Amino acid sequence: MESIYALLIFSTFRMALPLFFAAIGGYFSEKSGVAQIALESYLLIGAFAAASSCYFSGSILVGYILAALTSALFAQIFCILILKFKANSIVIGSGMNLLAMGIIPIVSKTLFNSTGSTPSLELPTFNVYLPYVILIIVVTASYWLSEKTIWGLQMKFAGEKKQALQSAGISSLKLQWQSLTISAMITGLGGAVLSTALSSNYSPLMSAGRGFIALAALIFAGWNLPRALMVCLIFGFCEALQIQLQSNLLISTYVAAEFIQMIPYLATLIALLLVKSKLSPPAELK
Amino acid sequence: MRLTFKRIAPWLGLIFGIIISCGLTWFFNESPLHVLKILTTSFFNSKFDLGLTLFYTTCLIFSGLAFAIPMKAGLFHIGGEGQILLSALVAAYFGSAILPLDNSYSIIFSFLIITLITLAFGGLAALILAFFKLIRQAHEVVVAIMLNFIFAALTIWITVNHLQNPNSQNPETIPISHALQFLKNDFLKNYFDNSAVSSFLIIAVLSCIILAALEKKTLLGYQILAYGSNPHAASRIGISKTKILILCLGLAGIFSAFVGLTEVFGNTFQYKIGFSPQYGFLGIAVALLARQNFIGIIGSAFLMACLYKGASDLDLETNYLTRDFSRVLQALIIFSVAASYYLSNYKKTKSSIKIKKEEKL
Repeated sequence: MESIYALLIFSTFRMALPLFFAAIGGYFSEKSGVAQIALESYLLIGAFAAASSCYFSGSILVGYILAALTSALFAQIFCILILKFKANSIVIGSGMNLLAMGIIPIVSKTLFNSTGSTPSLELPTFNVYLPYVILIIVVTASYWLSEKTIWGLQMKFAGEKKQALQSAGISSLKLQWQSLTISAMITGLGGAVLSTALSSNYSPLMSAGRGFIALAALIFAGWNLPRALMVCLIFGFCEALQIQLQSNLLISTYVAAEFIQMIPYLATLIALLLVKSKLSPPAELK
Repeated sequence: MRLTFKRIAPWLGLIFGIIISCGLTWFFNESPLHVLKILTTSFFNSKFDLGLTLFYTTCLIFSGLAFAIPMKAGLFHIGGEGQILLSALVAAYFGSAILPLDNSYSIIFSFLIITLITLAFGGLAALILAFFKLIRQAHEVVVAIMLNFIFAALTIWITVNHLQNPNSQNPETIPISHALQFLKNDFLKNYFDNSAVSSFLIIAVLSCIILAALEKKTLLGYQILAYGSNPHAASRIGISKTKILILCLGLAGIFSAFVGLTEVFGNTFQYKIGFSPQYGFLGIAVALLARQNFIGIIGSAFLMACLYKGASDLDLETNYLTRDFSRVLQALIIFSVAASYYLSNYKKTKSSIKIKKEEKL
């Protein structure tokens, strides 16, 4: 019996991995004052880039690096439209999601001659620990960057009071641009985890709303990084529970699979209902 | 002159978006000109094709309205997709459950009842967003996306486990009762060689015109516009936030439900899983292209329908491009139209600065 609980705890952390990355990515974007609903597209792009580059190069590290770089490059479309053309971030964000969903099957058809999954990868044994190592590095680096450096303070000011920053002679545009790029890079790493650690290939739409769940976690946590990671763990638990329940024969005969799949989304809605209104978003968030 | 450029800018953006996406196909070993030809000509290959395009136009007008109405009040309503799925299933269920008697009064009465129930379901599904927004100030986008996932899972479960058509291998419900399939003899359908188009097209066009009139001629229309441009100022002068949110999102839900009705009562006469090629998201591009102008939505919906029809023919006509190309096309159109707004506003601010300077002189 104990093995079930151990498995549940282990799989909670495993399922929360991409959420951690996406939530940190969302944090950098939202704190600098740009509403970020394109996390989903960065996850997908990162996942596809990691799976295909890992397939061609045979090295998993190349996969991670290329995932981060590709999604950072992809995010430049978002940056140009939001910051240069002053477009609305929600509109462009949903456009980015559409673009990622549309472009990946076409690239995949050109590279692998199939619109479905990429060929599965042969992964080394250290792959089990690698995502956690990367996660610890990313969490430490982003905490240091946002809390202990001048850049982090300025980035938060860009989200709270842009004019104050500008009157001090610092370009908020540049800061937001850097922040959005970092956001996409970290989320892209989350995508790489999705396709190389949680499974061994890229399958279509594999992010399954995780970008939005991470965003909801961030909002639920009141735009606070450590708290957001805790909330991600709760959502990870919901997903782990869903997998456990589906494999449990007794329960899956009584409760339909569709309802069990709904758990993370319902949990997000319930979490949003319970959120304290004390916590306020960054003032310039739009 | 300023006004005309402002009107033209989104259309220039559209053309730019199409050019970019056709140019993009060059990277995937396709000839951009060939793709452009398919995209722009496939909608009038035959009467049947034109009818299909008009069917897409109907759905896109409704989903464009579902995005445009809340947008007037500054709300981003991207939950249309879930509401469309839910309402289509509701329409299919009540269509098969209610058996009208064999006279025209009974048929019309039951049709009206089913329509009302479907619209009510769509509206209520959209009001969940208003509820979250009012109670917890939750961002409507996040709630809408979660609801889209939940409704998609719910409709699949109901269809497969409770309403599955025993005569079919595909996941779909039983067809609606025979008497209610009267739109099979629709005059529009007959004219376009039994294509998907139905009289719902007329309802779609009429509702655009009525909404355009209501927006400019009623106090409520102005209240919504005022709330959209400045919620704080609007609440200061006594415009109720609750009223605006419930009205806009409720209406949006009702128009989403119309997409479901169009599909179930005008096209397939049953609910098929996966019938919607994400009409809810296509509607965003339609509304943006028309700058949320209700009359403009008719034109932009037709245009997007032509492009969608063209993109879905790419599967057959090219080697590497698939149906997914329509998503790329939509995304690039959204991007270039959104960017064109900036260009038109930029010109305006520049000229207004000039005027101010002249005034000073």
